[in-house]
Amino acid sequence: MIKVATAPFMDDATRAALASGRAEPGLGLFLDVLMEMRGISEWEGEAIAGAALEAEAPATMKPDALAMALAAIDRGPAQKPAAKAMAYPELAGLPIVLRDAIQSAEAKRGWSYSGPGIKRLDLGFAGGAKAEIIRLEAGTAVPWHSHKGQELTLCVHGEFSDGHATYGPGDFSAFDGAVRHQPRAHDTGPAYALAVTDAGLRFEGLLGALQKLFGQ
Amino acid sequence: MASGNTPRPPGEMLGEAERRRFADLLAMVAERQDRAAYSELFAYYAPRVKSYLMRLGADNAQAEEIAQDVMVTVWRKAALFDRNQASVSTWIFRVARNRRIDVFRRAKRPDLDPEETMLLPSGVEAPDARVESMETEARVRAAMKDLPEEQVNLLRLAFYEGLSHSEIAGKLDLPLGTVKSRIRLAFAKMKARLGDE
Repeated sequence: MIKVATAPFMDDATRAALASGRAEPGLGLFLDVLMEMRGISEWEGEAIAGAALEAEAPATMKPDALAMALAAIDRGPAQKPAAKAMAYPELAGLPIVLRDAIQSAEAKRGWSYSGPGIKRLDLGFAGGAKAEIIRLEAGTAVPWHSHKGQELTLCVHGEFSDGHATYGPGDFSAFDGAVRHQPRAHDTGPAYALAVTDAGLRFEGLLGALQKLFGQ
Repeated sequence: MASGNTPRPPGEMLGEAERRRFADLLAMVAERQDRAAYSELFAYYAPRVKSYLMRLGADNAQAEEIAQDVMVTVWRKAALFDRNQASVSTWIFRVARNRRIDVFRRAKRPDLDPEETMLLPSGVEAPDARVESMETEARVRAAMKDLPEEQVNLLRLAFYEGLSHSEIAGKLDLPLGTVKSRIRLAFAKMKARLGDE
């Protein structure tokens, strides 16, 4: 895994959106996963925010706030059903943030059939961007398609080719609606992609980053 | 995010000795569930996390509740704190921010598990990365002291409050191009790093 200090594809506005937590949820997840898979760290933005929090003017808490927090600590975390094993154990090594999103989506709605050898898992994020995991059995392909808006596709496991290039873990494509592509998993095993589509609406706040992604 | 809240202007950052002390306290919480250490952290950070949430538009009651919640998470996840990776302030900011992301991601699905995920890098970090992150904290703070107050304010609005560049331009009544170039300038100062060729 290469390690680079900063993400060359991000501009200041995107860094700020990520550090502050304001990024469009699907795109924020995409960038978090991409940075972790590539060993990219962006500490400055969070350190700025940490220093700002530390210098924040304190608000007045209720007199019993600490007592209530300690009582909550004594009660322990809410009982959650034990997390079920992942549907596909090969995904257990994914970055935690993505694995959690997958497990949560598996518990809520599960994978859906999307054609022979193709399954999809909608991660169910709010907001204008749709984030899903696409699973391709070895050797199978998604039919040629284009999109209404922009689509970011990050290979998270296995390998696939899409008629334009070949992708392994950490590689991604960024297409606007006009480009047709056909991801096909290599014969060596199943391939998984995190696909984020914006339906042409919601990435505008981060357009600078996307323009860089698209090399425009 | 419009709101009727008018937070007071920010105060001073902590000195190095205080930052080290807070890291010691959080380590005591992690190692031996030390309530006195936790109480001290709570006294400092809970009211500031509440201010942060009110800046984001939460009302007093919501901010109180979420701030308490964030501080409970600080107790529960204390073992994940790595003083070589971030200051306590940055770490607690991350906990609070992740709560914000979680609410945002699941805004339309209140039935989902509200337990946030920590966006801490998983796996083992290279030793050089640890040194780098500590240096980052120090460098960022030094730059925030050196930069003109106006530029610090721009960084705060962008990276802490999460306003877009155009929202900042509107709020401060500045041309968008000016906001962009000043943020670029200020942020570039923070990024100047050791080992850059």
